[in-house]
Amino acid sequence: MSEKKAHQEITAKLRAECKRLLETGTVHTVIGFAPGSMPGRTVPVFITNPQEVAQLTWNPFCAANLSKYLLDHHQPGGKAAIVVKGCDSRGIVRLLQDNQVLRDEVHILGIPCRGQYDHRKIPGGLEVEETEPLEQGTADVAHPELHLEKCAYCENPTPVIYDLLLDDAVAPSTDSKGRFTEITDLEAKTAQEKSTYWDDHFSRCLRCYACRNACPACTCRECVFDQFDPDWVSKRNNLTENTAFHLIRAFHVAGRCVDCGECDRVCPVQIPLRLLNRKIIKDLDELFEAPTPGTDLNVKPALGDFTPQDPDEFH
Amino acid sequence: MIMKRLLEFAGLEPERFQARWISGSEGAKFAATVQEITEQIKKLGPNTKMRDTDE
Ligand code: SF4
Ligand code: SF4
Repeated sequence: MSEKKAHQEITAKLRAECKRLLETGTVHTVIGFAPGSMPGRTVPVFITNPQEVAQLTWNPFCAANLSKYLLDHHQPGGKAAIVVKGCDSRGIVRLLQDNQVLRDEVHILGIPCRGQYDHRKIPGGLEVEETEPLEQGTADVAHPELHLEKCAYCENPTPVIYDLLLDDAVAPSTDSKGRFTEITDLEAKTAQEKSTYWDDHFSRCLRCYACRNACPACTCRECVFDQFDPDWVSKRNNLTENTAFHLIRAFHVAGRCVDCGECDRVCPVQIPLRLLNRKIIKDLDELFEAPTPGTDLNVKPALGDFTPQDPDEFH
Repeated sequence: MIMKRLLEFAGLEPERFQARWISGSEGAKFAATVQEITEQIKKLGPNTKMRDTDE
């Protein structure tokens, strides 16, 4: 099937299913993607009226992980439907594991994903001529080199949890070799080199907290970075305080970060936040043989569980 | 363990952040550990990381 046909068919199926879900009262809200104001952009949309399902769309520019919105849109005794890709579905699993959302409050519409485009990589930027063929699937060939970085080694293109799957399952990347290369490369450098690398990035941070707001693992209602009394983390925007912010942010989501890459994608100054979080995922794998968080609802989170076999280095 | 690795990944020298299990009855181990760490840190000299916030 051509890409175009696939997008159209999925979109049509999605709209029909959401219409049915809303009409029958199975769900009170549908959280999905709608076209943005220019090609290559989609925006989250929240639909409660079955007549409005035509807003929903599916194309390879649906990069956002919508699972965070469940925190605001779940209602006791009712269900929200949500559109997820494979990586997003890990976010839902992790929210379920933390009881942030209950399984019967969510109706998961899974879409197996063939990769999402990164418009920053598209030559010509956001030019309509460049983007539209990719968006509509009419480009002669798929362009995996223009995908978001995370898509290259995707472990779960097919959602790991769903109530309905809207397309045939997609096989995961078999190229597991390159998965942690960027991390091992940086690990091999000296402390000074590593420090310089991060200083260059952290010094540019605006402390806009977009990374935190997009993250499905950041679920605290009151965030340590917002509090003034006690003033746990200074709000000053300098290298020291920014470094403190970044280390604390990364550590606060340790064991819960599902590697959806949203922090990285939403950062307006392109700080490689995902690299920091993936370092932790790599260590969890090496120390606890823990899979990427959110992969399996029944695997207890490595940092939320104790076993006598856990490694100990501090004797 | 995760914290230690994260700090090292961010460019902190491994010697600067260390952790040990020492029980309240292991006074000698505590003293020896503190001495050992102090020597290591002295060798490294003053920390330069995260020092640009003046009070
Ligand atoms: S830390 Fe980043 S990659 Fe991890 S769950 Fe949060 S947004 Fe996704
Ligand atoms: S999104 Fe980027 S600039 Fe904003 S707080 Fe996070 S790292 Fe800093």
